[in-house]
Amino acid sequence: MKKQPQSSYDKAFNALGDPTRRAIFEKLRVRPLAVVDIADGLPVSRPAVSQHLKVLKDARLIRVHREGTRNLCQIDTRGVLAMRNYLDNFWDIALSAFKQAAEKHKKHE
Amino acid sequence: MNNVKIDSIRKELLVEVSQETAFKVFTEKMDLWWPRTHHIGKSPMTELVLESKPRGRWYSRHEDGSEQDVGYVLTWDPYGLLVLAWQINGNFQFDPGLITEVEVFFIAEAPEVTRIKFEHKNMERLGGGKAVESMDEGWGKILDLYKNQTK
Repeated sequence: MKKQPQSSYDKAFNALGDPTRRAIFEKLRVRPLAVVDIADGLPVSRPAVSQHLKVLKDARLIRVHREGTRNLCQIDTRGVLAMRNYLDNFWDIALSAFKQAAEKHKKHE
Repeated sequence: MNNVKIDSIRKELLVEVSQETAFKVFTEKMDLWWPRTHHIGKSPMTELVLESKPRGRWYSRHEDGSEQDVGYVLTWDPYGLLVLAWQINGNFQFDPGLITEVEVFFIAEAPEVTRIKFEHKNMERLGGGKAVESMDEGWGKILDLYKNQTK
């Protein structure tokens, strides 16, 4: 299922397709965390965490900003909120696929 | 956090078939119209199954022979009402403790016209106030896969 990312949503989906990144994203959904603390409790090295954070950041799922002496990481609501529209759109598309299938089905009855 | 608080999504459409046909295609033929790529299994999906009965299972079948639960039938009331439990959380995981309801009314407007009133409810249950956001991850994923499929 290899696909070229096209939209920011593709990116978000691919970013969350990885269990470690999902775990990181989950942690950040609870509260913002300093980058150095993110690896705590996860079976993953700090360098690997940096790599994962980069992917999440590129997908606009998280934001990292400097706060005093540390980098703080939090959910990027702009990206997450953008996804809301996809949900609505999805149902439009799924239900219209259903409509087509039903009307086509009738012709063959 | 500027959370959007919506605990349900509503849709309505007219389908030019009888109420019975609409209900049957939605339920028995779900595999016909559901995006092939929407599943949370480990290998490609071969079939999406909705068992047409009260408490019937709702699951996907996969190339490796595995099955992945989506939820189950909460209300089976042919041909007017179907309520499904959707039990996949925002992290693409099946959670048997989670029930969000997908409620579909099939209203006969004419012999060959059926109004579909669709509502996906209880999103607030999906994840402590971030419910809708996590739903979006799941459904957004489907949409994109769907788009890629139909190109």
